Amino acid sequence: MTLGQWVKRLTFYEILIGMKATITVFIQRIILRNRPAVTLQYPHEKRDLPGSYRGMIALLRYDDETEKCVGCDLCEAACPSRVITVISAEKEGEPMKRYAKEYYMDMSRCIFCGLCIQACPVDALAMTKEYEWAVYNKRDLRLNKPQLLALGDRNFPERERKIEFQHHNVAFFNIGHHDLPPMTSKDQPPVTP
Amino acid sequence: MMELMTFAGIALIKIVVVLIVVLTTVAFLTLAERKVLSWMQDRMGPMEVGPYGILQPLADGLKLFFKEDIIPAGANWALFSLAPILSLVPALIGFAVIPYGPNKEVELFGYTFKPFVITDINIGILYILAFASIGAYGVILGGWASNNKYSLLGGLRAAAQVISYELNIGLAIIGVLILSGSLSMVKIAEAQAGGFWHWYIFGGLQVIGFVVYLISAVAETNRLPFDLAEAESELVAGWMTEYSGMRFAFFFMAEYTNMVLVSCVAAVLFFGGWQAPYPGTLLPENLAWIEGIFWFTVKVFFFLFMFFWLRATLPRLRYDQLMRFGWKVMLPLALTNVVLTAIAVYLVRQ
Repeated sequence: MTLGQWVKRLTFYEILIGMKATITVFIQRIILRNRPAVTLQYPHEKRDLPGSYRGMIALLRYDDETEKCVGCDLCEAACPSRVITVISAEKEGEPMKRYAKEYYMDMSRCIFCGLCIQACPVDALAMTKEYEWAVYNKRDLRLNKPQLLALGDRNFPERERKIEFQHHNVAFFNIGHHDLPPMTSKDQPPVTP
Repeated sequence: MMELMTFAGIALIKIVVVLIVVLTTVAFLTLAERKVLSWMQDRMGPMEVGPYGILQPLADGLKLFFKEDIIPAGANWALFSLAPILSLVPALIGFAVIPYGPNKEVELFGYTFKPFVITDINIGILYILAFASIGAYGVILGGWASNNKYSLLGGLRAAAQVISYELNIGLAIIGVLILSGSLSMVKIAEAQAGGFWHWYIFGGLQVIGFVVYLISAVAETNRLPFDLAEAESELVAGWMTEYSGMRFAFFFMAEYTNMVLVSCVAAVLFFGGWQAPYPGTLLPENLAWIEGIFWFTVKVFFFLFMFFWLRATLPRLRYDQLMRFGWKVMLPLALTNVVLTAIAVYLVRQ
């Protein structure tokens, strides 16, 4: 061992370096006050969630308050943990149109993978940024259609306009509007009061 | 008889005052530790109970008071109950000989007494060391009586560790005792009057002794980086594993009371106790005691901060490292300090 190493060992040099590091943070935090804490006081302040945040799943409506869901069951087929149950039915008087008569999501099983949202042909499903869903009874996490629609209503106040480019009796899926060119004001039909 | 009564009454009042002050300090030290640690780690610490979490000790105390008191089925009931008391009482008893302020006699309502020390016995420091050793029994018996492997291991470790490091404490302070020629805490502090260059760490060149004392004190109070007996990553909670409720609170209080005690001893032995770092006093003669108590408090809290600072910085030692450090580094250093101080004092007094 060299002399320098001996001096370092005898004066606890390495420990002093470490203690300098901690006291530096302390001084910056308490005396200079130029170092904020990384802590977020959670129930009082909440973090900004990214746009792609995967929270609770909601059912959406068009701007005329009609449900987007057409009861096709593709979300049920896509779901890897069998969260979704759809009971589809015909619309009364419109034999070609179907809708989800009942729609259940057992969110206690959901893994928030987002496959149902990808599977939906009419974009009737979306992920909200809600995450504070602790319940006392796990059966409260089995959401029915009104609950899912309410989730959508309170998280997506701006609704998509219903596109009527097919005969209203024939229109089954409003398919294709992903590929359509973006709508200009000229294309929009006149607003009827 | 009357004299005895007044003596006992005054002593009792002093004991109650000191006890209240010490226990309040201990309660708020738990908060201070959490706050200081969090400030050093970019966190906030307790923030919910009261403004900036200032009432956290009250909440903790209430919680521990109302917790269920569990005695394990296989435990030795008597020793299990005795251990927390045996570790708290020796820690509190040490405060009887600590001088908190100037050693002056005050006359109040016709009684003459020294207000800032409960009793000035002529073997003060020896008395503190003796009771600190008894405190180790609390840990050892608590670990054995719990009938739990983790507790037993923690108790065994505490036994070996406290004994090794108490030896170093005893040797580290011998330099001071040689210089002051007394074991009385009051006389040791009085001998360091007149500016910081008269304090034994600077004037008596007791730097080695002080460093050995400080490190051994951390080890003796079972604090990080020497909390081998508790070692939550290996032994759950060491000797406290089976304890809950107020019994656990007693151990907790004993740990913090020991911290305050060794800080007080360090302040008195090496940093002049109540003596200000400048000669004389700034305040007039009859108010000088405020200054004395102020400087004593500042010194004690500096050492307490040192405890937190060390805890925030250093990781726990391995058991063999601890033992090697204690016997092969600290003990020779302390002995060197004794020999050097003795030679220096002999030469100076020739």
